[in-house]
Amino acid sequence: MRLQRNRRITPVRLATASAALALILSACGDDGDDESTDDAAQQAAGDDDGDDSDPEEVELRFSWWGSDSRHEETQEIIDLFEEEHPHISIVPDFTDWGSYWDRLATSTAGGDAPDIMTQEERYMTDYALRDQLLDLNEVSDVLDLSEIDELALGGGEIDGGLYAVATGVNAFTVVANTQVFDDAGVDLPDDTAWTWDDFYDIVGEIAENSDAYGLQPEGSNEAGLKVYARQRGEALYDADGSFGFSPQTLAGFWQGLLDAVEAGHAPDATEVMEFEGPDTSLVATDDGAMGFWWTNQLGALDGVAEGELELLRMPGEFEHQQPGMYLKPAMFYSISSQTEHPEEAAMFVDFLLNDVRAAEIMLTDRGLPANLRVRDEISTLLPETEKQVSDFMAEIAPDLADPPPPPPHGAGEIPDILTRIWEEVLFEQVSPDDGAQQFIDEGSAAIGG
Amino acid sequence: MATTDLTAQIAARRKERQRRSRPRRILIHLGLISFGLVMLYPLLWMLASSFKPTEVIFREPGLLPSALAPGNYVEGWNALRNPFHHYIINSTIVVAGSVVGNLLACSMAAYAFARLTFFGKRTFFAIMLGSIMLPIHVVIVPQYILFSSLDWINTFYPLIVPKFLAVDAFFIFLMVQFIRGLPRELDDSARIDGCGHFRIYWKIIMPLCTPALATTAIFTFIWTWNDFFSQLVFLTDPDMATVPLALRQFVDSQGQTSWGPLFAMSVIALGPVFGFFLAGQRYLVRGIATTGIK
Amino acid sequence: MPSTGRAPTAVNEHAPPTHRPPRPRRKKSMLQRRENRAAYLFLAPWFVGLAVVTIGPITASLVLSFTDYSLLESPNWVGTENYERMLGDSRLHNSLIVTFVYVFVSVPLQLALALALALVLDRGVRGLPIYRSVYYLPSLLGGSVAIAILWRLVFGTDGLINQVLGMFGFEDLPGWVGHPDYALGTLIVLNVWTFGSPMVIFLAGLRQIPTMYYEAAAVDGAGPLKRFFSITIPLLTPIIFFNLILQLINAFQTFSQAFIVSGGTGGPADSTMFYTLYLYLRGFSAFDMGYASALAWFLLLIIAGLTAVNFIASKYWVHYGDD
Repeated sequence: MRLQRNRRITPVRLATASAALALILSACGDDGDDESTDDAAQQAAGDDDGDDSDPEEVELRFSWWGSDSRHEETQEIIDLFEEEHPHISIVPDFTDWGSYWDRLATSTAGGDAPDIMTQEERYMTDYALRDQLLDLNEVSDVLDLSEIDELALGGGEIDGGLYAVATGVNAFTVVANTQVFDDAGVDLPDDTAWTWDDFYDIVGEIAENSDAYGLQPEGSNEAGLKVYARQRGEALYDADGSFGFSPQTLAGFWQGLLDAVEAGHAPDATEVMEFEGPDTSLVATDDGAMGFWWTNQLGALDGVAEGELELLRMPGEFEHQQPGMYLKPAMFYSISSQTEHPEEAAMFVDFLLNDVRAAEIMLTDRGLPANLRVRDEISTLLPETEKQVSDFMAEIAPDLADPPPPPPHGAGEIPDILTRIWEEVLFEQVSPDDGAQQFIDEGSAAIGG
Repeated sequence: MATTDLTAQIAARRKERQRRSRPRRILIHLGLISFGLVMLYPLLWMLASSFKPTEVIFREPGLLPSALAPGNYVEGWNALRNPFHHYIINSTIVVAGSVVGNLLACSMAAYAFARLTFFGKRTFFAIMLGSIMLPIHVVIVPQYILFSSLDWINTFYPLIVPKFLAVDAFFIFLMVQFIRGLPRELDDSARIDGCGHFRIYWKIIMPLCTPALATTAIFTFIWTWNDFFSQLVFLTDPDMATVPLALRQFVDSQGQTSWGPLFAMSVIALGPVFGFFLAGQRYLVRGIATTGIK
Repeated sequence: MPSTGRAPTAVNEHAPPTHRPPRPRRKKSMLQRRENRAAYLFLAPWFVGLAVVTIGPITASLVLSFTDYSLLESPNWVGTENYERMLGDSRLHNSLIVTFVYVFVSVPLQLALALALALVLDRGVRGLPIYRSVYYLPSLLGGSVAIAILWRLVFGTDGLINQVLGMFGFEDLPGWVGHPDYALGTLIVLNVWTFGSPMVIFLAGLRQIPTMYYEAAAVDGAGPLKRFFSITIPLLTPIIFFNLILQLINAFQTFSQAFIVSGGTGGPADSTMFYTLYLYLRGFSAFDMGYASALAWFLLLIIAGLTAVNFIASKYWVHYGDD
């Protein structure tokens, strides 16, 4: 069935193919005609419907990224949902983070987007502003958002519409390996009081009193910059979608890291390049005291590390104008504007967000649940590291300032630009000051155009 | 008969040479072996790591594991949605179709380009070569639209049917080069005997092209087995996933990658390709050298 | 370079004649028409593939290169804007340099190594299949996700290379794979490391040379060196030529190894930003498929130009059995 042996090119097939060809060309040649590709999609989808014997049957495709454990959990949730809604079947579509976006872009371009898709800050705005996502206000009678954390809900509001709902939240912060602290004879700091100067002093102290490094320098994660800028009353992106920080801020952020590298308190540039995700990082291999990580990566770090890991607030939270840390939606659920069954798709998203049984399977795999009631109900079920994360988030929540706005159109390129220029700074090809200016110039072009 | 004398003469000379150069031969072998070890080091490391528990893989980067964890193989085999052999079977279907398709379609086209004169030959040859010069990333979206309108997404057709249409032009070019290396007297004499083009192609050229056909089969097998991008795009249903897609399911660049099972299954995934290579390379030695010329 | 690509005249009656009697010039007649028809029949699958699978997407990408196609919206015609943009795109210029360095260093190295080993292995070394397999194994890995890790292991700060060099007293060595000055070098080594493919093609080519040429030459008293230069090399030229073209096109399109080793960034600091990697990032990460298509067509022009030059040059050094 899967592979019919008939490989002959029948006239029918040939005709279909030529039609497809004409279609591609017409889609390309058309000047601003928005409908041609969509028409094709609807036509193709319409054919599918013709084959179904029972018109009540609804088939939805749900796409996400991740690794094997997430795939397994998600399938359990899907099974649960299908049991309750026998007329809806959910077809899974998953792969790893990197390939996910290639596949999503291609199938969206082909008019075949998954009905329900997982989105992320990086590309969400690009999809939303190009009319690929459904405004969830249109399905508000099915999708209940009343229990979703206000701090997280704003993250999906773009241009007056609600195009995505946060699955859960994370915070970008400092992870400390207590074993390395102990070996160096350094006490864990009071993270409600430490300044950036304190932070780098501790980094130096550890490096000088032990074999381990004090810090894994991370200058390419925009979240670190975001926190640093917010502490100074600035922002990575303003509400109007342009950069909201001065070059001095970025240069200062990089300079601190660079000084630690040059003093030998942190690994040198080539070693920094060799870290591959959490598994090989300094805190995971007990070779360094501190690193910057998302809270949901604690589990991965902890799985490798022998020393106890501790979550600390970012330094300088109470040093300047306001705390800089924020809750970042871990990922978003979005519904495709191409879907033919928005109601059913919304039912499934509602189930993922609001049903405790779904959350009991997923726990914090997609971030600490954005639904506050659900977050509360699963708190007793959490294994140790997840509990640690949940407690940490509860502790910092009262102090947080307003969440940052969703990133602007074109923001998908910003991480690459930031990474590249940070690498140039790290290898001393440009000074932090020049690099910061260069980032603002190149980045502005990306998000402006 | 003259040939027998000649053969004996050569054999004697060869034996004489061998006796004289034993130290040199040992030296050659030593060189070849140490070079092989350097070549293989990363693979040996992967093999060793596939037996280590995931937590220690990056703590103990040496070759010899301090603790053996054959559990990676069991875990990796069963960790995904389907047992791993499911993906191997999917890949095998795609690969088998591709190999057969390439062998037939490319050899036919190659025969025409190498041996026949026809109108537009040079132009078509240029178009054929040109068709492989565009990076896949800009043609994948139009291809997707094409196959999607044929309703071929989530079938193996988009991966196999093009091979039966000689879309892998590299192999046409490869076989053209091999066929052009064959003495033309062979088909000329066959033609005089009254053979048509199809008989010449099938009875004379193809048997003499065994090394080229074996090469084509081996490469098609390997490239298709490892091909990631088109399989990623055309097969979204996880039950249709092939081996490269399945291996990616162990990877989480932002979280915890199951390195142990990933390496274990990567080793497993090398098995079929290596097996095919071993089987196929036996045909690399046959060809005109042993079949002889009439 | 020998004057002829054919074997030396042999005493043995089994050797093929060096010069074929000129084929009778056929009239442009029924015979030719029949041959035309036969050729088109043999090419039929390819024609169908060209019309259905190949031409459509290729034409589409050409048309798209004159648009602002974003993948997510219908394209708008922008004329030659994308091509004009290429002139001022400094990252593109950097990627061209990276790619050219890679192509012109790694292709000759890889081919030379492949040919050398194919020749050594073709001498009837005992255990030939084992060596052949061992040398081929790395090529089987392809774009495996494990490559990134393996390469850091060999070329990292504490990697194999530095450990070996450390034994010889070298100290304070950099991590090669993570250094902007050396990262491209490690990718060149990675490409050379997978010399198995051209090696196998060379071996297949060597196997196709009729042994009787050698035997005849041996009887004639030609030494091994003479036999090598007057039989092996000339008869292998079509295969050398094929490998050259193949590796040239492949090297220009290098993507997956650079993508995997640099984690998709082309880093450190754009030092491994290959042309196709840049093209991919423009198309799929910046949703700038119109520009990416223009980049692709520019690449096609470069490759086609170089291939054409090679084809013209090949008339002077490639010898076909059917000349």
